[in-house]
Amino acid sequence: MSEREILLETRNLTKEYPLKNSFGIRGKQVVHAVSGVDLQIFAGETLSLVGESGCGKSTLGRMVTRLIEPTKGQILFEGQDITEYSDREMGQVYQKIQMIFQDPYASLDPRMKVRRIIEEPLVTHRVCKSREEREKRVGELMGMVGIRPELASRYPHQFSGGQRQRIGIARALALNPRLMVCDEPVSALDVSIQSQILNLLKDLQEQFKLTYLFISHDLGVVHYISDRICVMFLGKVCEIGKTEEIYGDPLHPYTRFLLRAVPSMDPEKRQGQKEILTGEIPSAVNPPSGCRFRTRCPYAKEVCGQREPELRDVGERKVACHMAGE
Amino acid sequence: MGDALLQIQDLRTTFYTRDGLVRAVDGVSIEIEAGESVGIVGESGCGKSMTAMSLMGLLKKPGKVDGGSIVFDGQELLAMAAKDRRRLMGNRISMIFQEPMTSLNPVITVGRQVREALLVHNKGMSRSQAKERVIQMFQLVGIPDAPKRYGEYPHQLSGGLRQRVMIAMAMVCDPGLLIADEPTTALDVTIEAQILHLMKDLQEDKGTAVMMITHNLGVVAQFCTRLYVMYAGKVMESGTVREIFKHVCHPYTDGLMRSVPDMKSKERLYNIRGMVPSMLHLPKGCRFCPRCQYSMARCFEEEPQIYEASPGHFVRCFLFEQGKGEKRP
Repeated sequence: MSEREILLETRNLTKEYPLKNSFGIRGKQVVHAVSGVDLQIFAGETLSLVGESGCGKSTLGRMVTRLIEPTKGQILFEGQDITEYSDREMGQVYQKIQMIFQDPYASLDPRMKVRRIIEEPLVTHRVCKSREEREKRVGELMGMVGIRPELASRYPHQFSGGQRQRIGIARALALNPRLMVCDEPVSALDVSIQSQILNLLKDLQEQFKLTYLFISHDLGVVHYISDRICVMFLGKVCEIGKTEEIYGDPLHPYTRFLLRAVPSMDPEKRQGQKEILTGEIPSAVNPPSGCRFRTRCPYAKEVCGQREPELRDVGERKVACHMAGE
Repeated sequence: MGDALLQIQDLRTTFYTRDGLVRAVDGVSIEIEAGESVGIVGESGCGKSMTAMSLMGLLKKPGKVDGGSIVFDGQELLAMAAKDRRRLMGNRISMIFQEPMTSLNPVITVGRQVREALLVHNKGMSRSQAKERVIQMFQLVGIPDAPKRYGEYPHQLSGGLRQRVMIAMAMVCDPGLLIADEPTTALDVTIEAQILHLMKDLQEDKGTAVMMITHNLGVVAQFCTRLYVMYAGKVMESGTVREIFKHVCHPYTDGLMRSVPDMKSKERLYNIRGMVPSMLHLPKGCRFCPRCQYSMARCFEEEPQIYEASPGHFVRCFLFEQGKGEKRP
């Protein structure tokens, strides 16, 4: 394990949003969006962040790309601490970290032609010497993502959702990045288009040795695309490990319930009542003491309310639960 | 089968747009028996929601139902006066929508909104009786602290609770048919499981028939007994859920099922090539043929009829014309 290059690392990464009262004045209360996350992403792998809404997965993804400034903690990319980098220094980093967004309708400028959308990163970072070279590169990129280069002078609204997502991917690929942060890239797409995009992402990864930080709530998609997954609940990591191990034998109770809640495609296997998690996600303003999951956890004991479980090694995995592995 | 609760026959809904006619629902026939749960599955633009909107009489201009019949409980809805039809809606037939935030009024307490639904259809009922009934209903759908929640506004409730309020509102008049348009799509998976369970319990207790409109095949497998698969305004395949999930016939349904990652294998996902056709420029012949891996010359020329692949299992595909059923895996 130790020989693999750690491409990105977060140390105690935390984001807290101060709450405003009804007069717009900041009070003492904060929303604990992400609380002390330590994460390592190895070069060439796909690590997925999974969890339900409000678990902090998108906030974490955006902090890694410095689109959101962390409150505390560090981000290391290729061994360099980029947490305090200036905008100019970040410019260099953005040649290597790119992002794909969920909504292919909102993430492309409607007034730009596809050619300009894709060449914008090339222009900003002055990577191409001449116009011809740039146009050739745009054509190449469109070919890679499966859009005919003749369509370069069309506008985003002339494309379907799936094609727009392909354009977003071409833009992200333009600078030959090492890390791609994919924030729910297929959630807005229809099933038949979703599988096309997932296969495209896999092909590109193989071809260009990309590393993905993949953010999704869809456990089927996550299983298909990831090498390792990180399950989050209310701003904290519950469990990190290899995909097969976690899906085969989830150790954290939340992971177990999450996996069971997915409606099975087999009509012969219907969910039973006792497999369903009751209650709702607690407030991120006043998270429960101790383990944040304990209010919904049927296995919770006294210790869960008193001490916060550390993320500890269980086999090859890391689990944050007092009971795990016993 | 003349006595089904709902019989939609050859329904045609057209949008008269500036760019041309869009036949959003093009000759759709659906039957639902009392107490049955039926899934309507398809991707965006296949006409599944428009079928429900036509049934509810909620179509907006330039859309218009211009053919077919909808018989509910022995009455032809399309021939009914608007006033009589409205009396039926929300009372005998009710609907829940995908986004519970936009379908609730933000400035009226949720309790009052549900009470209103009850009072509109029960003229003799007093307000206090209605309130009591609503609180009972809230408890039934699993809203904790029902009397307190009665006086709260939609923004004070979480997404799961709001969907429970919607279900309470839809079920408060004991409808015979509940139309659920993507009721769990906006919800998290643990909440989705809760809501599906709740709907199943209510359906079994009250004998309500449910029309479940969804793109999620897992939801259908878990919730429904029969299923209609729609593509570009037409029903492509129908039958019992067990039969279709075991012996899928139509190439589109098959492709759809194989496109969903199943959490078991990491084998490369199947791709249905191409994309959904524009409803303004539908292909000649079978609507699915440009994307179909089994298409024959004939598919591009004439439109297939509906064939019975096995008893009760209907498929709109030439591969299943009499005696040819074994051609495909």
